[in-house]
Amino acid sequence: MTFARQGVCLSRPKYSILYRHAAPMGTTAKEEMNKFWAKNTKLNRPMSPHLTIYKWSIPMMMSITHRGTGVGLSGAISAFALAALVLPGSYPHYLDLIHSLYVGPFLIGLAKFGISFPVSYHTFNGIRHLWWDIGKGFRIPEVYRTGYTVIGLSIITSVALTFL
Amino acid sequence: NMSAVCVALSRNVLAIRNPGTMVMVRYAQTAAAPAPEPRIKKFQIYRWDPDTAGDKPRMQTYDIDLNICGPMVLDALIKIKNEIDPTLTFRRSCREGICGSCAMNINGGNTLACLNKIDSNTSKPTKIYPLPHMYVVKDLVPDMSNFYAQYKSIEPYLKKKDETQEGKDQYFQSVEDRQKLDGLYECILCACCSTSCPSYWWNGDKYLGPAVLMQAYRWMIDSRDEFTEERLSKLQDPFSLYRCHTIMNCTKTCPKGLNPGKAIAEIKKMMATYKEKKAAAS
Repeated sequence: MTFARQGVCLSRPKYSILYRHAAPMGTTAKEEMNKFWAKNTKLNRPMSPHLTIYKWSIPMMMSITHRGTGVGLSGAISAFALAALVLPGSYPHYLDLIHSLYVGPFLIGLAKFGISFPVSYHTFNGIRHLWWDIGKGFRIPEVYRTGYTVIGLSIITSVALTFL
Repeated sequence: NMSAVCVALSRNVLAIRNPGTMVMVRYAQTAAAPAPEPRIKKFQIYRWDPDTAGDKPRMQTYDIDLNICGPMVLDALIKIKNEIDPTLTFRRSCREGICGSCAMNINGGNTLACLNKIDSNTSKPTKIYPLPHMYVVKDLVPDMSNFYAQYKSIEPYLKKKDETQEGKDQYFQSVEDRQKLDGLYECILCACCSTSCPSYWWNGDKYLGPAVLMQAYRWMIDSRDEFTEERLSKLQDPFSLYRCHTIMNCTKTCPKGLNPGKAIAEIKKMMATYKEKKAAAS
């Protein structure tokens, strides 16, 4: 250490360009990463457990639900749009078809809730995400408070929509 | 605890009786202390040995009497290693939450074993795993090299445009500018947050993870650093920064009470505006 410091003091003014080459940075971050993957693949080390052992929390579950509802909704909308294009017959025709099945109010309600809950949850949690995007609500108690608010509002809204 | 009770008791006895009955007092003292009921706690610990060919990871259970063990999970681990099973392997150093060596997953959450009190409920075992989704070197020791390389990649040091003035003067900083670093510089790089993040689990090769990103932010907002824009532009790809989906496991698990989730959000905000600034300047 002392030697290196002296070296810096002596060589700096005269050989500043030379000095740079004399003190290589060792390995780059990229090289170290490549070495990491090569080594661990070669040694066949086990991966420590993750999803199966990590304790679930409300914010974590809400995050995956947001992802799930998002994928589900965009899939459903695409399927609906595609069906409207491809299938023969108009929308009222299929609506009448569903009516004619007489599946009962309970199953119809459940189906309605199955659509209204993802819509309302994804919307409210989307607003929560926008709030985060402006840098607000990042303290853990706030994360929980906004989370419970989103869950409450989504249940109220989706139940209300179901009874429309 | 028990010895404290004994001391208090013997003091009382001494105060009443005179020194002549010292022997009797002593006898009374030992008789007054009943053998404490052992409080046996089970510790289930992840084991994997690289030197046993074909070894599969398994959980091994150790019984510890909490009456004769220190209060923290690290105390239990050291006790197991010293008295029961010297082959148990884990990292530890400072035993006071400043080195970050003993980061591991305890009862489902990432934390430092030295800062984590043993759950005194003896009916439930304490489960200990290495940091999640990491290559295991042995038992509770994960390979941290990728994490450290990622830290290196963000150039975690002061950078100046004009290197010829280096070391000539101090770089002064206002009190307000210095305060911006509070809550960031305290990070000990234990990797509890990064290895708690599902995005980091699935994309640890390309996503930098909360710990490293918080340090990237720490240098971006340092008033003395002159490479803020370059630091930001380095994160301009789909993975390095934007795999953060605000799951917030990082902030929830940080044993130092820091907020990497918030720091990442601040970087995202800076990413949205820094180009405009550059355009306005040119």
